[in-house]
Amino acid sequence: MKCPIETRDSAELLLACCTRKLDAERTATLERHMEICPACREFASGQRAVWEALDAWEAAPVRLDFDRRLYRRIDREVSWWQLLVRPLRPTLVRQGLPIAAAACLVVVAGLLLERPASAPPAAEPQSAQVEAVQPDQVEHALDAMHMLGEFSYRVRGDAADSKM
Amino acid sequence: MPERVKTDMGGATAALDYDAELMLRVKEGDGASFGLLLEKHRSPVVYFLYRMVQNHAVAEELAQEVFLRVYRSRSSYEPTARFTTWLFRIATHLALNSLRDGKNERLQERLDRDSAEMPARQVADSRPSVEQKMVYQARLEEVRQAVAALPEKQRAAVLMHKYEEMEYSQIARVLRCSESAVKSLLFRAYETLRARLAHMA
Repeated sequence: MKCPIETRDSAELLLACCTRKLDAERTATLERHMEICPACREFASGQRAVWEALDAWEAAPVRLDFDRRLYRRIDREVSWWQLLVRPLRPTLVRQGLPIAAAACLVVVAGLLLERPASAPPAAEPQSAQVEAVQPDQVEHALDAMHMLGEFSYRVRGDAADSKM
Repeated sequence: MPERVKTDMGGATAALDYDAELMLRVKEGDGASFGLLLEKHRSPVVYFLYRMVQNHAVAEELAQEVFLRVYRSRSSYEPTARFTTWLFRIATHLALNSLRDGKNERLQERLDRDSAEMPARQVADSRPSVEQKMVYQARLEEVRQAVAALPEKQRAAVLMHKYEEMEYSQIARVLRCSESAVKSLLFRAYETLRARLAHMA
């Protein structure tokens, strides 16, 4: 076997062997090589020492209130709108929904009632004319009708006088 | 629950880990799944960050930020990689930023303070002698100093390799570099650590 120290790829094998991540077959081959290779033996011994030293480095347990603090931060991230609405939510659910549903019904009904008025396009100019007549115009029209009536009455009176 | 399930992502069938599946449930509004993810990954993330920044308070603060970012990103989450790859990418990013943000200047101070604050670890004997405690503390301090002296990326690679038992490929994805670059980082890091810690054998 070629000495693993000589090539980077094989040195990875040696590293994997020392970190107990190599399969049994290759571990056995490397161990046989190490018996006759002082350089590899030294590498392995040093690496095992590092591994054991790192094993001894334990981290302190996580504080018990970690989750509580995290969820508090998550809650704080809730938008101002949600915060504003949150206290009203039960009321909104109980009363707001029926009100909103009723409002929707009113709007829909209004739209349906609106539709026939604008539906027949033929009637549109006529109704537009009616809508366009102003009060002073009506007054003028009534005056004209009155004058016309008076005129026709006088004409009829004159005709009767001339017959007599 | 199966550890892994198969899912179809963009036509190609890819393995989706159980954590990613939980995260997809979080995306759908399942808060309990977020609780499960937190329960499972809380300690590994805090420990990783602690070993990176070597301060308990800072590590917990950064871990909170990690999980907060996970939660914030739930709506845009796509399981394109293993969940832990994504999680440790966020953790590493925050740790590196924290170290570069001038906080590393106070690292030595923290190390000293934390050494005093850390409870004495119980060694094989249930009642270690004062001498044993002192020897243990001295060795621990040496390990911590050796790891702290590693360049940041080498440190992150060693911690993920040693404590999270990640494969080279996963470390590469976390650090956004090639697998050969990770091998090189680890080789150099262990070389440095051997030089400093081999006498502990």
